[in-house]
Amino acid sequence: MQTNQIDIKALLPVYALPGAIAVIVMLFTAFDPVFVTPSNLLAIIHQISITGIMAVCMTFVIMTGGIDLSVGTVLAMSGLISYFMLLAGFPLPLAITVGILAGACTGCFTGYLVAYIGLPAMIVSLGSLSIIRGSALLAGGPDLHQIQNQPGFEFIGNGFIAGVPLSVWLFVLVTAILVFVQRKTVFGLLVSNVGDNERAAFLSGRATRRIKMATYAICGMGAALAGIIQASQVHTASATFGEFGTELDVIAAVVLGGTSMMGGKGSILRTVMGVLFLGVLNNGFNILDVPIEAQLMVKGAIIVVSLSLTEWANAKAV
Amino acid sequence: MSLLRRIPNLELLAFFVVLSVFFCFYAPHFNTASNVENLLSGYAFIAILAIGQSYPIMVRGIDLSIGSIVALGAMIIFDLVMIWEVPGYLAMPLALCVALAAGAVNGALIVYCRLQPFVATLASMAAYRGLVYAISGRQLFPELATKPIRDPWITGIEEYYDIGGATGLDQVVNLPWIPLSFLILIAVMVTSQVMLSHTNFGKNFKITGGNPEAARLAGINTKRTIISAYAISGFCAGLAAIILVARLTTATEALGNGMELTAIAAAVIGGISLQGGLGNSIGPVVGAFLLGIILIGLTLMGVSQFVQQILSGAILVGAVTYDLYMSKTRARRARALQSGV
Repeated sequence: MQTNQIDIKALLPVYALPGAIAVIVMLFTAFDPVFVTPSNLLAIIHQISITGIMAVCMTFVIMTGGIDLSVGTVLAMSGLISYFMLLAGFPLPLAITVGILAGACTGCFTGYLVAYIGLPAMIVSLGSLSIIRGSALLAGGPDLHQIQNQPGFEFIGNGFIAGVPLSVWLFVLVTAILVFVQRKTVFGLLVSNVGDNERAAFLSGRATRRIKMATYAICGMGAALAGIIQASQVHTASATFGEFGTELDVIAAVVLGGTSMMGGKGSILRTVMGVLFLGVLNNGFNILDVPIEAQLMVKGAIIVVSLSLTEWANAKAV
Repeated sequence: MSLLRRIPNLELLAFFVVLSVFFCFYAPHFNTASNVENLLSGYAFIAILAIGQSYPIMVRGIDLSIGSIVALGAMIIFDLVMIWEVPGYLAMPLALCVALAAGAVNGALIVYCRLQPFVATLASMAAYRGLVYAISGRQLFPELATKPIRDPWITGIEEYYDIGGATGLDQVVNLPWIPLSFLILIAVMVTSQVMLSHTNFGKNFKITGGNPEAARLAGINTKRTIISAYAISGFCAGLAAIILVARLTTATEALGNGMELTAIAAAVIGGISLQGGLGNSIGPVVGAFLLGIILIGLTLMGVSQFVQQILSGAILVGAVTYDLYMSKTRARRARALQSGV
């Protein structure tokens, strides 16, 4: 009995999320067989690719014990910048590069204030959220800007390669790069060191501040890429995109994946699981036509239950 | 001078006064009675939310769910008054109880399920918002959606008092009428400040926030203290809900969306340190009205609202930088005292 119990607790954090996804998929399938058709499964991945890119890029930030609430506005800003660049007649690759670099710049700004000045990440990113939103609105106004006659740009969000949407390929590519960074590079190791014990990492001569700033830059670049994909998908750029709530969805996905908000623990692949879980849930709710109130309540309850289970398992394991 | 030093938030108050004087000269219609009236009634509920928010921050937490609790309280009043025709003097306390309970649930999630405050209140923010949609009387009975609430007890909250006229001062200067919501705010602020500085219950918040482990070892029931902090935050959200319902004479499902961020900003500007364990109840009120005069003043000066957004972000970052600077100064002083200099 005793050994049996310990086994469950040790396995819970690893298999809880994939298990929960499997259970939910089975439940939804029982109600509506349409759910498991290949086209619907592809549609789910297509729907989550934007949130997914932001979430995997946010994982490092949360692993260092920080948070970035400004991703929603960075998403709006980068779409707008690409739009203006294309409008001015710059070539497509340059427009995209500048959009993503702008995301890196805002990330560096937030990261500098957090890492070098030592300000609390939540308040700083809240501040940069309103600074970026204000600047984007100043530049583009609250209107929707139609993007026309840009086949190359539209391909990013709507094109298919080998039957799979390009945005999904981009999501896979970003995930693969970050998984590589986390597992095979010194940087990936240092990120979790900083999150685990920043003082110790600093004393052992690591450039902790530069590492922390870099995580925010990565997060900004991810949000900027997501913004370009979204602008391309809806053929529109606007300073009002990525409204309040976008960042919370992204954070929820990261946290569901088991990344601790205290820093230290976390994994890119498990964030993908968290994104997948929320995506499956949303898609199933829509297919079954579940009303919005039940959706919100169930989502809140699931986050609480899954996290307290993980917390319970971790506490016993120590 | 020593008396001056005992006033908390002195720098903040000075900044507030300087800014007010600046706007009096440069923003047209800023120093009129009706503008002050707008400011008082438009930011009193934000200030109440900020006082509430300061408790979770004081115990090293955060409460993201207050916007949803505002909507929940407002919708409960709407349902009780419009559907069951409950009189206002019963509906309002009931809504306050529900708001208090919603806050306590947040606290329980954090204490007993050991969730991070940010995550726990993020989840309950979604859940409470869902609950608002579920109980929304506007959707169950669409014909009620356009009917204003006429209950005299509730509309009575939206009352203005002619202080100037009553005291005869209006023959000298044109004084603004004081809204009842502002008087409620003053009552909340005084109660909260007296509690924080003169009762054990209130002092426990700062002690727990300053060093939870030391507080526990000193025999303070830290679990109860943390749950109380979130309950107080919920209660203040309930008060704000009552004021808003009285103002709008109705309740909507999206009420209070994004208000938590303004409240957090006001609390932090008001000197509630995010490191926990510090702060008073006057700061958040000054912080809320500081945000208020900046937004109203800049609007009157004709500055675009987009620039205002940039400025309010910059002010927020400035406020935390200042907080950090102050806490470093405090730490230096403490070290100097210890080494006997």
